[in-house]
Parts: sequence; structure tokens; C-alpha cells
Amino acid sequence: MSETFGVKVEDIFGTMPDRFRPEAAKGIDASYGYRITGRGSWRLTVRNGTMTIERTDALEGCVAITTADPDTFVGVNIGKVDGMAALTTGKLRVEGDLMALGATTKMFKKYVTPKKEPSIGEYILDMFGTLEKRFKPEAAAGLDMTIAYDIGGSEGGKWTVTIREGTCTVTEGLAAEPTLTIMVNAKDWVDLMLGRVEAMTLLSTGRARFEGDLSLAMKLGEIFAPYRPSAGAQPEEQELVVLKKIISVNQRFATGPVMGKFLNGLKEKKIFANKCPRCKRLQIPPREICAECRVRVEEFVEVGPKGNVRMLEYTYYASPDPLTGETRETPYGTAYILLDGCKGQEVFAHFIRPDQLDRIQLGWNERKGTIVRPVWAEERTGSVHDIKYFEIDE
Amino acid sequence: MGTRVAICAVAQIKNEPDIWYMRFQGMLLECLESIIAATGVTFDKEKGIRDIVTCSDDVFDARTISDNGMTDVVGAHYRGEEKIAQDGLNALGYAMACILSGHDDVVLFMGHCKESQSESRHMCTNLAYDPFYCRPVGLDFLTANALQARAYAAKTGLTDRHLAEIVVRSRRNAAKNPYARDNKMVTHEEVMESPYLADPIRELHYYPVTDWAVGMLLSCEERAYEFTDRPVWITGFGNCMDRYFIGERDLASPMSLKKAAARAYAMAGIEDPARDIDLFELNDACAHHLPLIAEGIGIVPEGKGPAWIEEGGPDKQNVNLSGGMLNGNPIMLGGVARAVEAYLQLRGEAGQRQVEGARRALAHGSTGGAGQHQTVVILEK
Amino acid sequence: MDMKSRKKRRNVGVIGVGQTKHSSHREDVNQPEMVFEAVREALDDAGISMDDIDCVVHGNMELFEMIHQPDLWHELGTGSLGKTAFRLTTGGTTGATLFCAADNLVASGMYDVVMAIGFEKLQEGNTTAGITNMADPLWTRNLQTGALTGTCAYDVIQEFGEERAKRASMMYRVIMDKHAMLNPKAHRQFGLEFDQIDYLMEHSAKLVGELRIIHMCSQSDGACAVILASEDKAAKLGKKPPVWVRDHITIHREETFNILGYDNRYPVEMTHKVAARELYRRNGITNPLEYFDVFEMYDPSSWWGLDWIRDFFMLEGDEHLRLVENKEIMIGGRMPINPSGGVIATNPIGATALIRPAEAVLQIRGDAGPHQIPGPVRHGLASGFGGTMWTVLIMLEKDLDWEQESRP
Repeated sequence: MSETFGVKVEDIFGTMPDRFRPEAAKGIDASYGYRITGRGSWRLTVRNGTMTIERTDALEGCVAITTADPDTFVGVNIGKVDGMAALTTGKLRVEGDLMALGATTKMFKKYVTPKKEPSIGEYILDMFGTLEKRFKPEAAAGLDMTIAYDIGGSEGGKWTVTIREGTCTVTEGLAAEPTLTIMVNAKDWVDLMLGRVEAMTLLSTGRARFEGDLSLAMKLGEIFAPYRPSAGAQPEEQELVVLKKIISVNQRFATGPVMGKFLNGLKEKKIFANKCPRCKRLQIPPREICAECRVRVEEFVEVGPKGNVRMLEYTYYASPDPLTGETRETPYGTAYILLDGCKGQEVFAHFIRPDQLDRIQLGWNERKGTIVRPVWAEERTGSVHDIKYFEIDE
Repeated sequence: MGTRVAICAVAQIKNEPDIWYMRFQGMLLECLESIIAATGVTFDKEKGIRDIVTCSDDVFDARTISDNGMTDVVGAHYRGEEKIAQDGLNALGYAMACILSGHDDVVLFMGHCKESQSESRHMCTNLAYDPFYCRPVGLDFLTANALQARAYAAKTGLTDRHLAEIVVRSRRNAAKNPYARDNKMVTHEEVMESPYLADPIRELHYYPVTDWAVGMLLSCEERAYEFTDRPVWITGFGNCMDRYFIGERDLASPMSLKKAAARAYAMAGIEDPARDIDLFELNDACAHHLPLIAEGIGIVPEGKGPAWIEEGGPDKQNVNLSGGMLNGNPIMLGGVARAVEAYLQLRGEAGQRQVEGARRALAHGSTGGAGQHQTVVILEK
Repeated sequence: MDMKSRKKRRNVGVIGVGQTKHSSHREDVNQPEMVFEAVREALDDAGISMDDIDCVVHGNMELFEMIHQPDLWHELGTGSLGKTAFRLTTGGTTGATLFCAADNLVASGMYDVVMAIGFEKLQEGNTTAGITNMADPLWTRNLQTGALTGTCAYDVIQEFGEERAKRASMMYRVIMDKHAMLNPKAHRQFGLEFDQIDYLMEHSAKLVGELRIIHMCSQSDGACAVILASEDKAAKLGKKPPVWVRDHITIHREETFNILGYDNRYPVEMTHKVAARELYRRNGITNPLEYFDVFEMYDPSSWWGLDWIRDFFMLEGDEHLRLVENKEIMIGGRMPINPSGGVIATNPIGATALIRPAEAVLQIRGDAGPHQIPGPVRHGLASGFGGTMWTVLIMLEKDLDWEQESRP
């Protein structure tokens, strides 16, 4: 099976060192595995702002292993296949830390298929083939001349350009009595047209020779628009500017007396709910009003500290915390816990000890879920982090 | 079907520089309790409030869906809530539409803003500008207002002394307003020596950082007297959007202000505002706004703002007896504060500021730097 | 006196609809330019110009792009210069709120022709961080991960068993993609086939619990504009027959998600159930499955999409699962749902809930194009979702022939 984009899997991996952006790898020390079906495995190691890529089946310790078929892998890397779509439909599979793998997308410049430069002969043909298109009639007003181009070398050729009454015709072969003859070998002519060498240099070294009216030769630069190599028939795209900015405005959030009492309670390892005077439901964390009864809630009740788990959000994907910009380690679990003293929907949200996620059983109706207890932070300041997490009450 | 909408109750807390001791939920709860106590309105789905209009801002609250945080305290649990994300005066127009359309009988309006919460309100308003050109150049609502102040002064000859008079008067009036922000009295000299924020706007020319919350109960004509014996009718509403690029606007004489006023007057059947309206509450975030807006709504001839100030025009025409926004209301709610004053005046509840026999009032609000968007409301007894 | 004697003051019809081709980052346009595309299309669809528009209603979720008051900048693309202009924002339901607001504004008699514009350029911000910002900064914000939750999958699995539940939600997903493939405006078109269900069920990467990346809605850049007019104006303007707005309801819930106790002794009513019940009751609809011809539902994930069919149509037991398993929700089926591909395919949040009634209008008009359901389509339903499980529900009609009863 060949890669349909004309790019090989080995090209992607082989050019990684050239495409590497060390600034995006700052602070990262990890290995990433790649299994390309039917082709082999590679291991990318990033450490101390440098990278190594090796073809190997030894993928132990890789923080994430990506499996894909060659076409999908290449397609994603050259931007022809949408990575998210591939991930969603399972054509690209990732075992391990998806978030960590995400960091690698910034570490490498996108693979760009190198353009093959045309040969001298191809250039010469193109240059003379586009002469009529590049002719500027307004600059040739009143001019009447024939120019014979004698381009030497195996890739050269002979052309005559006739300019008369504001028109320009290019024919093969050399005219009998041209107004001007230019003799130069093909490579020099190409270099001259591409701006790699100056006309004066060629003239003074004798590599280019004129016969006829030199002043007319000077005009040639004005009569024809400069030659631009056609970049593989791709139209020149406008460069679009994308502005990247991180916006940060510091905030001072008030806690008020209700949340304030709750947060202060945490400092003393107490968890407070408040109780609606009308329907008696508990709210935790407490709120100023009971939304159902629309009355002010003033009575506080201490609950917990233990409770049973009713729901666990087993999270494989974390996004940056909008307040700190940091991303949680995955997998993590946010649990909804019915603390002692609470009933029904009066659940309390917090984290579960990461290494115990798989042992949590969820409650259902009367059946209690795993009993858990809070693990308090050593230093408590009156915030959600005063509780590190809940752990199984063993 | 009735054609008018009434404000039946208004509740507010005091405007303060920094309500650090309460969350906005606590601030709003006081307003809710007050409205329920004053009107006996319930949240019964057939007979009471089933739709609420709110006003708050995500950027100033640093909270996505800022109205989500308000849900409980505005009673929106299993009810409808729609947030107006512009100066809250527009909420009166929208609530009016909810009622006149037949969709609702009564609508509760609640708004809050805590300017003290973010490190800089200028950083927040800078975000109203496009990230490519206007924002990096340093435009925010303050600098936009400064450009406007300069344009207005060049056109009309408004001087530092006029501005000082406006500020001194604002604080003097606010001292008679128990809900106004407590500011110290200043002399003309103190104003004229106050440091520049953005030339020509001095610190004392600009409304100070303020926190506030407010609520209103609006009702259809048929049921207004269920909730109060002195409804205040909204008889005119108009708003208008101007151009985004500041250089393309007539800053000294905003088109959007003239159009908003014209729309409100048309709805209310007003031909001569100076004659037909008894008092005016203009949203002067900046001192120069007072004469500028007075001209724009047509109670002062164009270009004659400074003379109006010199001749004591604002006093004669009962303008900003509340102290205006200049004394201190938060962004998003300046226009609402104007409507609150108008309401109190028309009910005879304006205490030391009362205009005897006031029958008709105008409240003005604006949104955006140098007031790109303008709102005018006419209230009647 | 109570609400019994009050009716809608005057009828309101949709006369124009426009959308951008929704996509990942539209690097080729800035925000006002993108909005303009939708506005241009809506004006052309209605055959009118901005001169005919009295009022513009604009909305999005501003903390995504971090633009304060974007309607001010967007004046460059919305045509709001010199017009009455409102801005309303209600999170995910914004688009539907804009539609309802436009309806209220026209019905009130204050304005004759109102254009509602919703947009989002989600790729210009961090969507999940933006949604996480919705939660209380003192507490829940530190615990939540945006709109991602495994709870809905958990609910359905508990009730119907893992195998059946997973298969049904994946069937729903494939159907939504098949619809999206027929919608030239849709963002994500994967070309999924039914025989991929087994593979996708097990191999699509997990996000939270049994919520996998394939179930979850898109993050798109896009805009939508809808023009509403009074009955008189709709007759004079508008190239195509107007689609009538019959009624709408908005139901919110309290600030926190107090719904995760999993104890049926303490039942919680979800807002979509309440919205459906109240809207149908006051419009005399007793059998919504029979009554409606099309439903554009705001389905943030295929689990919720699957689950909510039950309460939106007042069904019982596993009727909703069977509708999906038997492919009755497909174009051509008994109860087509999201012929546009829905929110999973296309989600420029500020526009998403406006696209729902917009697409329902296209269906009723019969010019939705390749994703048109076979007609006649006379009664349409559209929903919006957002916040802490809020619902907006809208009823649309082909003909002005329902009984304009006083609202009970």
C-alpha cells in the first residue's frame, strides 16, 4: 500500500529533527510511541529541549502511543486529514495521555513536501514560453526591433522575439538580420532571469555577449515583466495573519457571608451546608437563597465529613483551568458525594484520590456507594483546595 | 389589550465603591425581597412572574453566562430568564416588548455590576475593541470618551471651569440622594487641579468605580394596580447604534443619540421635550457628557452646552438631580439608575430632590466608548 | 385578573434565513466579516435590504472570544448602523433566546421587521475553558471540565443496559452524521456508516466516563441570521411564504447541578420535560409525536440527544430508544430529528440555538435542499439548550390556522 499523498511515513519521521521547535518542548521530559500498521513502530523522546526519534518496537514507558495506518498518519501530518476527525472516528487511536500527546503538535513545524526545482532546460522553455505573456505594450510604444536569443549549451535553444507596433511575437530559430543578438549559455541565462546573477557581471566577464544596439538591450528590462517561477501551478496564496494573545485580567472575588462561612469552616475541617426554612433542603456549598422557595436561607448545618459516592466523572480529558492556566493530570475523577446528614440531590462535588478511582462503587437509590472521607490539606486557607480529595474510608 | 407597560416597584441597594463584603447574589437578594414585600407578587406560573429579564456582563463578572450566577436570586428556577447584555435601560424596552407582545403579564428585571471586582475596568473596556487595530492603539471607553471630550470642547468652547461646575453640582445633588455613592464634596479648584486620566478628562471628571444592584417589577396595563397604587408608565422607548470606528462618528453630536431620542419622543407623542418633560436624567459617565447629551436630546440648542451650564440650565430644567452617573453608578447600569430616579420623582418619593408636580421624565443610557449605542426612555405618571 | 384573556398581539413570520458554511477556524475572515456572510444570505433569502430592517438583535457567548460588547465592533457586519439594536446573551441558549426576543419585539408592535444574529468564533478562544468559567469561581470552577460529563451516558446505561445503550447512542450519532453529509452548511461530515457502530463504540477515545469524543458536539466558527416580520410586512416583503412563530417558552434551572444524587425518591424534573409539558398544554398539543413533522433539537451529545427524545415527545419506557434503533428519526422516517445534522455536526455556540429554528423554517418552507425531509412539513419544533440544563422550546407553523387561544 503506497501513501496516497506522495509522502512516505519515513519522510515524516525522518524530517522530525529538522522540523523540531525546541521552545515548544520546554520542560517536557517524555516519550511518545507511534505504531504505523504494516510499517513499524517509532519512539520519539523529548528531554531537555532536545529530541530523538528512533525506529524501534520498544515503546515501554511512552506516555502515549498512537496507532494509525500509513495514509492517516501521513495525512494528518501534512494537514490533508483532520486530526480531530481521525481521532473521533477511530482511524487514529491513542492509548495513554491524550493531553500529553497534544503537546507534540506544537513541537514540530508542519511537514511540507519539498518542491522539486525545475531543470535548466525546463526553466529555459518556461522563460521563453512566457515571454509574450510578460510583454508590456505600453513600455514598447514606438519600438520596432527583432532580438535573436542564442542560448548555448545542451539545454539551450534559439528564439527570435519580434516587437512591432505594440505587439510581441516569439518564434523559434534565429532571424536573418536581427536588430540585436544575445549570446549566453543556458545556465547563466537562467541565473540572470532568476536574479541570481547581474547582467553587468555576465557582460564584464564575457559570459554574455551582445551584437547590435546596446541601448536597446538596456530597454529589455522595462519591456518585459520579470520572470517568476511558477510554483508547481499553485496560485500564490495571500498570507493571512493570525494574532495570538493571552488575555489576563486579575479578579478579586468576594465570598460574602454565606460562602464565607463555608470557606472559613473548611479551615477548621468543618463542612457546612445551609438549610431552607421552608422546604428544609440542604444546599452544599451553601447559597444565599433557596432557588425553589425563593426565600433567604440563614441556618447553617454541619454535614459529613464522610459520605457515599453517588456519581463519579471519570475524566480522561482535561482542559486548562481558566483561573491558573494549568491542566490537571488525567485520568482524574470528580465525584458527587452525599455527605452524612444530606439526602437525595444534596450532593457535594470534589475530587477522588486518583489512585482509587477504579475502586469506587456508585450508589443508587437506597443503596449506598463507596464510603469516602475528606483528606484535608496541611495548610488550609478557606478554599476548595483545603480538601485535597476524598479517599475510601478504610 | 392594553398598550402601556408600567413600572410597579423598584428596589436598589446603595451605590458603593467596593462591596467586598457581599457577593452579587447577596446584593440582588435584598432587591428581590424588597420587591416581593412591596408588591406581594409571586412566582406562580399562572398569576405571577414566569419570565425575568436581567442585566449583567460576562467580562466584568469574569464569569461566562453571567446570568447563570443570578438564576437563583432572580427566582428563575423553572422560569424563563433572558439577559440584556447592554446598558440595562434597554432591558426596560425589551421587557416592554415581552409584555406588549402578550407573552408575559409581568416581568421582573434585575441587574448587577461590581466594577470593584476586576483589577481595571479600563482593561475590560479595552476588550470591546477589535484586537488588530483599535485595541493595541489603546482605545478603551475612557480614551474614547476623552477623544469625544476634546471634540466637544473644540466645537463648543467647553472649558475646564464648566467641567468643574458640572462635577461640583453632581456631588451636591448626590448628597441629597440616600442611595447615591458617598463622595466627598469638592471645590471647583480641586476639580481643575485633579490629575488627568486621559487629557482632557481629569480624575474627578470621570465616574468613580462603583458596585450596585437593582430590581424592578414591570406589569401590563391590565394588572398594574394589583401591585401598586402609583404605577409609572413607560410611554416612550428608543435606542440606536452608531458606527464602530470612532473617526467616522460625529463625536460631539452623536447621530445615535438624536435618533434614540427621536424614536422615544415619537412613541410618547412628544414634540417639544424641553416643554413637555419635567425632569431629565442623563447618563453622564463623564462630565462633558452632561451638556453633550442635553444638546443631543434636544433640550439645549446645538453647540450651546457651555452657555447652558453657565446660566444654571441644568438646575432650571431639573437635569440629573440624582447626581447622575458622574457621581457613581457601575457600567451596564448607569441608564437604569437614571430610570430609578425618574420613577421615584414621578411617584413623589424623591425626598429632598423632589420636583413638585413632576408628570413626565426622561431617562437616558448609553453603551460603548463615547456612547456608540444610545437609549432614551420616557416615563409618565 | 390573570393571563387567560391575553393573546399574542399580532402574528410574526420568518421571512429570511442565512447561515455561513460552518467550519473549523475561519482564518480567512474576522468576526464582523463572518457575521456579514450570514446577514447577506438572510437578506437575499428574504429579498430585502437593510433599509427594511427596523431592529437588530445580536448575541453570542462573549467570554469565548473575550470581546466585550461584540455588537459594537460587529456593527461593521450586522448592518445595525442607525437601527434599533439589542443584545441578549444566555449562554448556549443564546440563539434561541435571540429568536424568541425577535418574536417578542415584533409581536409587541414596537418593531415590524427584526433580524436576529447569533455567531461564535470558537476557534478564537478555548471552548472548554470558556465553559468552565461558567461555574462559581469560588468552588465548582476548580472541579468542572466544561460541558463534558459522563452522567447522561451513565443514566441511559443504568436504565437500558450497557450494550443496548451504547449501541443506540452510536446509532443516533451515525444518523446525525448521515444527515450532516446532506447539509452543505454543516461543519463536520465524517461519512460514517452503520456498520462502523461496533468499532466506534469501542475505539473512539473516551473523554469522561462513557462519553467519547465521537459523541460530543463540534466546536465551530459560524454565524446565523434570521429575519422576522409582522404579518403585514411579511405579506409585502419576503420572496417566500413566511413560516409562522406560534409560541415559545424558556425554562431555566438553578445555578448548580443539583441533579446527581441518583435517588428516585427525590426526583428532579429536567427543564426540557417541563418546557415541553407547559408549551404543549397551552397550545392544546396532546400527542407531540403525531403532531410535529420535524424537530431540530439542540443535542450537545448523542447521549443527551438520545435521552431527551423521550421527554420532548412525552414518551414512556424505551419508546425513544426504539425510534432511534428503527431509524425512524432519519430523514424520511416517522419523526425526523435534526435533518441538518444537529449540534454534534455543527456548533458555533452563539449561533447554534438560532440555527435550530432556522433549519426548521427551511424544512417547513420545503427548500432545505439535499437534507429536506419529504413533505408536506407543516408543524415544526426547535429547541435550545445551555447553562445549567436550561431549555428554550419554539413552535413553528406553515399556516396561520391554529386557534389563537388566550394563553392559559
